[in-house]
Amino acid sequence: MIAALQILVDAISLGSLYALATLGVGLVFGVLRLTNFAYGDFITVASYALIVPTAGATEIVIGRWPWPFLVTAAVGVVVIVSMTSEYLVFRPLRTAKPAVLMIGSFALGYIIQNIIILVYDGRPKAVGLWPDLGEAIVLSGLRVPKLELLTIVVTLVLVGALVLFLKVSPFGVQMRAASEDFRMARMLGVRANTVIGTALAISGFLAAVVSLLFLAQVGVMSFNMGVPLMLFAFVATVIGGMGSLTGALIGGYILGFASILLQALLPEDLRTFRDAFVFAVVIVILVVRPQGLLMPRAARERV
Amino acid sequence: MMKRVIGTFLAAAAAAIALSGTVLAEEKPIVIGFAIAQSGWFAINDDGGIKAAELAIDELNAKGGILGRKIKTIYADNKSDRAQGAKGALEVLEKGADAVFVDLDYDMGVAAALEANKAGKIAFSIGAEDVKMGVQGVGPLAFTSAMAAQLEGAAMAEWGYEKKGFKTTYLLTDTLIEYTKSVCNGYDVAAKTLAGAKIVGRDTFKNGDPSMVAQVTRIKNLDPAPDVIMICTFTPGGGAAVRQIRAAGIKTPIFSTTAMDGNYWLDAVPNLSEFYYPVHGSDYGDDPRAAVNDVVKKYKAKYNAEPPFTHALLGYVAVNLYATAVERAKSTDAKKVAAALESSDGIPTILGPYSFSHDLHIQNKFSFPIMSVQDGKHAVIDTWVTKTPFTTNELLRKAE
Amino acid sequence: MMTDRFSIAKCLARNASPLVLCGAVALIVIGTALANDAALDRTVTEALVRIVYVVGLYIFVGNSGVISFGHTAFMAIGAYTTAWQDCCSTTKSLFMPALPNVLLQANVPPPLATIVSGVVASIFAGVVGLAIVRLSGIGASIATFAVLAIVNVTFSNWDSVTAGTSTLVGIPNYTDHWIALLWAVIAIFAAHFYQTSRFGLSLRVSREDEVAAKASGVSIFRQRLIAFVISAFFVGVSGALYAHFLGTISVDAFYIDISLLTLAMLVVGGMNSLSGAVVGVAAISLLIEVLRQSEHGFALGSLTVSAPRGTQEIGLGVAMLVMLIFRRNGIAGNQEIGERLSRFLAPQLQRSSKLTEDF
Repeated sequence: MIAALQILVDAISLGSLYALATLGVGLVFGVLRLTNFAYGDFITVASYALIVPTAGATEIVIGRWPWPFLVTAAVGVVVIVSMTSEYLVFRPLRTAKPAVLMIGSFALGYIIQNIIILVYDGRPKAVGLWPDLGEAIVLSGLRVPKLELLTIVVTLVLVGALVLFLKVSPFGVQMRAASEDFRMARMLGVRANTVIGTALAISGFLAAVVSLLFLAQVGVMSFNMGVPLMLFAFVATVIGGMGSLTGALIGGYILGFASILLQALLPEDLRTFRDAFVFAVVIVILVVRPQGLLMPRAARERV
Repeated sequence: MMKRVIGTFLAAAAAAIALSGTVLAEEKPIVIGFAIAQSGWFAINDDGGIKAAELAIDELNAKGGILGRKIKTIYADNKSDRAQGAKGALEVLEKGADAVFVDLDYDMGVAAALEANKAGKIAFSIGAEDVKMGVQGVGPLAFTSAMAAQLEGAAMAEWGYEKKGFKTTYLLTDTLIEYTKSVCNGYDVAAKTLAGAKIVGRDTFKNGDPSMVAQVTRIKNLDPAPDVIMICTFTPGGGAAVRQIRAAGIKTPIFSTTAMDGNYWLDAVPNLSEFYYPVHGSDYGDDPRAAVNDVVKKYKAKYNAEPPFTHALLGYVAVNLYATAVERAKSTDAKKVAAALESSDGIPTILGPYSFSHDLHIQNKFSFPIMSVQDGKHAVIDTWVTKTPFTTNELLRKAE
Repeated sequence: MMTDRFSIAKCLARNASPLVLCGAVALIVIGTALANDAALDRTVTEALVRIVYVVGLYIFVGNSGVISFGHTAFMAIGAYTTAWQDCCSTTKSLFMPALPNVLLQANVPPPLATIVSGVVASIFAGVVGLAIVRLSGIGASIATFAVLAIVNVTFSNWDSVTAGTSTLVGIPNYTDHWIALLWAVIAIFAAHFYQTSRFGLSLRVSREDEVAAKASGVSIFRQRLIAFVISAFFVGVSGALYAHFLGTISVDAFYIDISLLTLAMLVVGGMNSLSGAVVGVAAISLLIEVLRQSEHGFALGSLTVSAPRGTQEIGLGVAMLVMLIFRRNGIAGNQEIGERLSRFLAPQLQRSSKLTEDF
């Protein structure tokens, strides 16, 4: 019984991390129709913002600041990168086809990654972020590391805030309108650049949060640390239902659950194939529900 | 009379030509071509080895070179791309390389080594721990200055058993690359030869995974707790694994691989203790062999920093091995140098005597200083010579 | 006779595009062969193998409009099928012990092994395609990525059959610039015949408007499946050619990096035309070489001017972005090279060729 609860808690925690990343990806896809292949590198940038390049061992600068300043700084850096990308890459490609946007974002990500390698070198760097969060709260055999709890709480808070923002604030309403029908929204007075800018800023914010939570878990960053998270986020967005925020959340949690459950329950010789099973599940979901699990009303093409 | 004049003249001419030939040979340098990563993500890994190799070459040249010829180095950057490495090998060969030195990682350097082998030149890896950088893989002219990865695992299994009395092990394998799988395989094989030693549990993880909760829970649920946890891994995932294990309150001693050497990742695990792993040689100035500490000192003097990790020393060894073989063969002809390397008398190096055979171009027996980390500080606490025998076939294919 | 000249002209006009493309590529190869520079030779051969891949990719992506991240899986299958057939005869049983005896003892001649690899890849594509080719848009793309991930994880861990994460070595060297050129030419002509055939045209209709295509009686599922299988054949062949080129293969070489790079080559060249596929590979390969040379340095008199190390990659990214920003539809736009030539050769075909242009 305890074992099952343990797996459940672990799964919810990983699912929350994936859900945050998926929100960041899904938001931009909803508004811009852009699969942002630079997202993984936005995540990486947030962690690398904590350190300064030096010849020898890592010099941790921002990483030593008290957490409110640290988080603000990391978020700030990623939002700046995100906005710069919008200005230099996404805006010039605004009217291009989705495939071109996608490759453009891949080129952007490639540039960012290689700048990181050039500036910091290719070796992994360690920042023992918030080690106290590794301690666990133990409830009659159930071990919940504080970091897992924090991840779950942060996700709930941010999702709640996002939902509120989208429903209540004028920016949010405009974003939802733009997600459903960009052209119509523009005709009704929604300023495209404002909406897109907001979406990318929020996406960057989420990337930074994901990055810090991830770093607090693993303690070591590397130049391509964000890529697995980004790939899972893409997959989760699609199986959850593109253009639907709830769908993005559900997609993230499904992948988190699948990963943890399979790692815990598969027999030893099949465990190394865990990801193959996860992606097989993804294909099954897509074949059974091609539009994703939760399809928003406006998504189906009308003839 | 005329005949004598012509004869003398011809003889003198012949002598002059022969002499000028030798004079020219004395000046012609021995060219070592490095087809290696100087940019891109892998560059930092080759960097220490290249610098140590250059140090060795400087020392040799200061003594007059090899066979009276100075050593010249030429470089071709593979930009962390394997196909580019093959081109790099071709480039340095075109520029007259007598031997091609390739990356310390077998996967990264194999394509370049293949080209060198095809061109009939020696390919020397500055630290590949895979037996395929040798006869059965790349070809009869490929060598490496390291020992097989399996020996690292065997060393930890044996040392833990003999010196620490560890009988039960939990084996955690990183499945991302072949090297880590080989190390754990070596541990497995060695453990089978130790009476009473048991692997009480096994698990795997993939380097870069965001969470290891499931693996950690399994370890925590073991009753009784194992004597030691052997993690076959490398950074970043290795740092993440150790961090998460220690954060869960698991105080069990942890064994790991040479790839975890270096203090650049220690910030991830505050006050890390009871962490042990083998090294080829210590970069911290406390190696039991004076020659190693000497080289570390010279490295620091030349480059203003210690070697970044133990593998750097293998770059130094590679040059020494090649140089000694050329001296013994009295030629740079690849086949003769290979034969000299394979000859039954070992070749002395700063890490101890190396021996190759016609069948095996990698060490299958090695003396490892055992490095420990206590309270975040590195120190060599022992030396161990591997005892478990490994045949070539066992190294090529993981013994079941 | 007049009619003979007429029909030769028509034939040339109909096939002007692939002829021009193959002609240009062949000229480059001849130039390389004459230059006698080993490194240049390898660069060109590698680019030719990439052309086979990207043209194969184009057969599906360009005609159906569905972006596939998963074609690299076919390259992996092609490469490993080749290794199973003709790698390392003395050590095969040590590297891959669980292979069936017939493969362990096989030493298939490379040309045959290459074709077999392509066929195996297309069979795999046929089976997988049955499930995923029904999907559209981003869902289809993610499904193809899932296929790639499954192949990657499976090959990486099925040690006894693929040697797992170990880099296999000992594959015979069969791909030289002539063989690669031959396969590039075959691929280009195959793509051309496919896209001007009834099948290709039907698929292109579905690319523009799925609903209208269905209404016109096009079975999107069947057409996509056909294109998927044909494209997998060539991508599989490119994997075999690559294995025979480098002599070594490992699973991690066939994952996201190659997948995105080849897609980038296709999109930068122009996703909707065969010429775009070829031009994209040529342009990006040339760009990479020029940037790498600039890191090597150029001699200006007695000085060597060189770009700082590591700028090649950044330069490549920037150049790709610039090309995309200024040529939204890729370098080739939506056109085929040689269209003007075909119009000159056979003006009476112009009316019918205009129809295909709109697609």
